[in-house]
Amino acid sequence: MFDIRDGEGTIRLIGRLDAAESEGALSRLNRIDRSVTADCRELDYISSAGLGVIMETWKRLHALGSTLRLTNVAPRIRNVFRYSGLDQVIEIS
Amino acid sequence: MLERRFPRALGSLEAMFEFVAVFARAEGLDEAQAFETGLVLEELFTNQVKYNPASARELEVRLEREARNVILTLRDPDAEPFDPGRAPEIDVGRSLLERKPGGLGLHLVRRIARRIDYDYRDRCSTITVSLGAES
Repeated sequence: MFDIRDGEGTIRLIGRLDAAESEGALSRLNRIDRSVTADCRELDYISSAGLGVIMETWKRLHALGSTLRLTNVAPRIRNVFRYSGLDQVIEIS
Repeated sequence: MLERRFPRALGSLEAMFEFVAVFARAEGLDEAQAFETGLVLEELFTNQVKYNPASARELEVRLEREARNVILTLRDPDAEPFDPGRAPEIDVGRSLLERKPGGLGLHLVRRIARRIDYDYRDRCSTITVSLGAES
């Protein structure tokens, strides 16, 4: 189960971003057209499919001159970003 | 040891994660090992689904504890040969603007696994992965 809650310049990623949820997640993130911070304190899990969603969103916003930042990322999830090399490009805290 | 068959569909993931959680509780896995077992299983399972979606045959998952390691076995009775341990490596240092999502799943599996064994005979593919404990 995965959900996105919207706020002022911030969104909350909630639950498990796996292959079954990635299409819906990307569709919702595609509505964002300016710089945004994604609060990940309630994100419990991410797989390569979820990384693909984050990667595609970052690339799309980058092309618009905007950016995507991730905050409050749990150590287990930060490791997945590190293994993939995405932590070298996407701002994660 | 825990063993179960799952329909070849992304819709199986939720039940599969619950299956891993039951195993993790029964075996007292640490948080990292439980997380990585679920992650490796998703990556291998979705790979089989992606490259052979037409088959009606279910995939068989087995989880075992061997000392402090978790041994994960994924058996596909109707597969083309594909050894995940020999898949082309992706360049994770490449610019994100040039990178495609493909290949990332198996990259994660190889990064996390202590060992990956592969067997293929009579269209049956068996992937066995050993996952270590954190400390």
